[in-house]
Amino acid sequence: MEALAATPLRTRTLEALRQVEPALIIIDDEEGLRPFETDAFISHRATPMLAVLPESEAQVKQVVRACRKLGVPVVSRGAGTGISGGAIPDPAGVLLVLTRMREVVALDALARTAIVEPGVRNLRISEVAAPHGLFYAPDPSSQIACSIGGNVAENSGGVHCLKYGLTTHNVLAARVIDGEGEAMEMGSLALDAPGYDLMALITGSEGNLGVVTRVSVRLVALPERTDTLLAAFASVGDAARAVGEIIGAGIVPAALEMMDRIVIEACERAMGLGFPTGAEALLLVEIDGAEEEVVAEAARARSILESCGATDVRVAADALERERLWRARKGAFAALATILPDFYTIDGTIPRRCLPEMLDRIYELTREYGLLVGNVFHAGDGNLHPCIFYDANKPGDMERSEELGGRILELCLDMGGTITGEHGVGVEKLRQMCSQFRAPEIECFHAVKRAFDPDGILNPGKAVPTLKRCAEWGGLHVHRGHVPHPEIPRF
Amino acid sequence: MSAAPSPAVSPPEPCSRVAARLAEALRHGAVITRSEELKPYECDGLSAYRATPLAVAIPTSEEEVAAILKVARETSTPVVARGSGTGLSGGALPLTDGILMSMAKFNRIVHVDPLARQARVQPGVTNLRISQHVAPLGLYYAPDPSSQIACSIGGNVAENSGGVHCLKYGLTVHNILRVRAITIEGDAIELGSEALDAPGYDLLALATGSEGLLAVTLEVTVKLLPKPELAQVVMASFPDVESAGDAVANVIGAGIVPAGLEMMDKLATRAVEDFVHAGYDLEAEAILLAESDGTREEVEHEIAKISEVMRASGATDIRVSSNDAERLRFWSGRKAAFPVVGRISPDYYCIDGSIPRGALSHVLKRTEEMSGKYGLRCANVFHAGDGNLHPLILYDANVPGELERTEAFAAELLELCIEVGGTITGEHGVGIEKINQMCSQFGSAELVQFHAVKAAFDPVGLLNPGKAVPTLHRCAEYGAMHVKAGQLPHPELPRF
Repeated sequence: MEALAATPLRTRTLEALRQVEPALIIIDDEEGLRPFETDAFISHRATPMLAVLPESEAQVKQVVRACRKLGVPVVSRGAGTGISGGAIPDPAGVLLVLTRMREVVALDALARTAIVEPGVRNLRISEVAAPHGLFYAPDPSSQIACSIGGNVAENSGGVHCLKYGLTTHNVLAARVIDGEGEAMEMGSLALDAPGYDLMALITGSEGNLGVVTRVSVRLVALPERTDTLLAAFASVGDAARAVGEIIGAGIVPAALEMMDRIVIEACERAMGLGFPTGAEALLLVEIDGAEEEVVAEAARARSILESCGATDVRVAADALERERLWRARKGAFAALATILPDFYTIDGTIPRRCLPEMLDRIYELTREYGLLVGNVFHAGDGNLHPCIFYDANKPGDMERSEELGGRILELCLDMGGTITGEHGVGVEKLRQMCSQFRAPEIECFHAVKRAFDPDGILNPGKAVPTLKRCAEWGGLHVHRGHVPHPEIPRF
Repeated sequence: MSAAPSPAVSPPEPCSRVAARLAEALRHGAVITRSEELKPYECDGLSAYRATPLAVAIPTSEEEVAAILKVARETSTPVVARGSGTGLSGGALPLTDGILMSMAKFNRIVHVDPLARQARVQPGVTNLRISQHVAPLGLYYAPDPSSQIACSIGGNVAENSGGVHCLKYGLTVHNILRVRAITIEGDAIELGSEALDAPGYDLLALATGSEGLLAVTLEVTVKLLPKPELAQVVMASFPDVESAGDAVANVIGAGIVPAGLEMMDKLATRAVEDFVHAGYDLEAEAILLAESDGTREEVEHEIAKISEVMRASGATDIRVSSNDAERLRFWSGRKAAFPVVGRISPDYYCIDGSIPRGALSHVLKRTEEMSGKYGLRCANVFHAGDGNLHPLILYDANVPGELERTEAFAAELLELCIEVGGTITGEHGVGIEKINQMCSQFGSAELVQFHAVKAAFDPVGLLNPGKAVPTLHRCAEYGAMHVKAGQLPHPELPRF
């Protein structure tokens, strides 16, 4: 164990944190701090001054108060699966690790709500709710690992958010400690709460406004039946049109995902799932609900897919086959790492109607840059995840890939979309925030931040850029074929 | 929590000077100052509260709105924005020393995109007009406050309005994508986005339901939905209100999300039946109306399931609408209930509170007990599926002591809502009406936070001051929507 250099501030902070009652787990040695130096945005790292692992709200409150007094930044961290760097530590700050607050406090099957601590994993909520015939709908692909506190911080989505909404649509209330160490209740278990909608404000605020110490989530009835269709298309344009037609017909699939040829081939090589070969694009359409409804909607979806030129439509015959199809989708990012040593994933959103045009433009730009791009994404939501492949050993390749990524995000904005779909801004997209918003909106964000955290100690420098700041592009970097935590399904 | 920075504020100017400056800044005829012309603006749907503003300004363009805010800023004059004035909590009540800004002339449907299913509209467009405008495209705008023929979308955003269908389709906040607004500083800001999610803090949700305290809405982009192929209503009779309350919880518990799930008790059904002849079961202690919409298969399946759950929960009679005319007749009594109750009692007092659905039968039972305790009749007509209560306490203001007993009854009911984990408002907002109950709903940490958020948008405190969020000092008596001598403001409008 190696001791870190003891600065006076560090010593004073350590002393203050040791006063917390009941005694708090504090990590202050370099080796112990190393696992916390980044989240899943691994191209950025920093060793925090100290890390603490509270087990109760009372401890969190005291930590925030102590840090505020000393002017020490506090960065909250859940499972560390975030990919925009929202939980990257501040080298001069305390990392507040919430993984030990992982109790499912209550579950009310009649009211269909569960109250959980922030460190509870996303999937665990659904596991606990399953015996009651319920589940928690938002399912980021990292759901086996990511925590609900992090989901609230990033307003996470998932493949099923097309029908069931993002985190913000599935959380009802939260207890939050603000930047001054005050505890407050946001939202309500009833229909609507008076006062400003602070619950929506805190959701997606990336740890800038408060530390969530408890979340009440909405549970949804497990569907009676789920049908999954896989359709192959001879062109990406046909597949994109089918997406528009399905939504246009008033069908709201539980999920509507698209993969292009590069991704299909990578998945096939890595997993050998028997996908139709030679297809330029695949659509995965999932429909869930009551028996009659699903049968009728799936038949409609099938005829739309066929009329849009699908060359092959398969229906998963049972749960096993369905799971196999989804494994390809959720494992796609790991499979992509077999194509080229490095890739960079973009997260942007466009209005759905622009999908065919957007994909054409992405391919055009890719040719212009002489790079390779694979597309696997939430088509129904218009949430794109283009993966740009590059080789970090080739001089200039990485720079060109980052430039291309930037151009793609600018395209999203041109089409009326946004620079992030579900991964958040964190440190990765601070600069693009300057393109997304104008000065009055950015100023408004800062004013809101000050209203919660007047001293600016909570996760400073993340999510909202200062008006002056315009730094470099970032991304989910895959270095030498290594995806961080390759065992966790992504996106 | 530190106090918001208080920027230098210039001293208020004489009223006549403010009006003159407004007249200079705006086109001819855009400013009203004559007292008889100010009269129509002195209250909204909460007519128990009235105030005459120093001037009414009716802008027609963003530039004029900015000009009005500039005058307000430079003369330290408060501004209250007003839509159609159908709000029930006094959110658009003028301030006697303030400007009332009517958004009535912002009444254009700017753009409809049928493929993206969106419409961009100005804030003065009425809720129903959006649906009528897009009906030829097979689309509609889902939130349907009962006053939808008159209420404006800007007001809906300010109050986060609901309606009978919000159980399935959500409140206003769930059905809008983007708002263009202007702050008191005169900065136009875009909140939200047409895409799935927007980075940055969710200012769109923050502005929705903020009752005109944070910014003035200039344009709203709403989501449109395809009109369902079929809609049918189940009407079920129950021998007591508790079993009806349980039936509501059981329907939702069975995984059914009806398009609407409404309850009326005997006092209410008897009052409306004479009036609308909807064919309600007058022997039932309570009836439930449950609507299902969607594709034919879906509706048939759902109606069968709802009927089954109702029967198992103790329904004594179940009827299903066989055509659209019958469906509308079943609803007619529900939509007319509030004006009609005015016929059976000289005055009534309508409460708006929300409770977790599971507490429904408990709260209904306690309401009955309170009705006995205070010696006042209470009719229940409400959005049962959402747990959004609208008890109507019937009283006669001419009988000494009845008003006071009514207010005590209402206070106890709202306290009960909070006690069971609910809230003091469901869909009518806080406005001026419930400013005191906010002290029961929230602790001081939350209230201080609300003020800090307000200061972040409006550091000079000139937008609708004194509404929605009480100061920490304030804790006075409760207010409500009072019906004077059977006269409901705008009785022609269906309510709730």
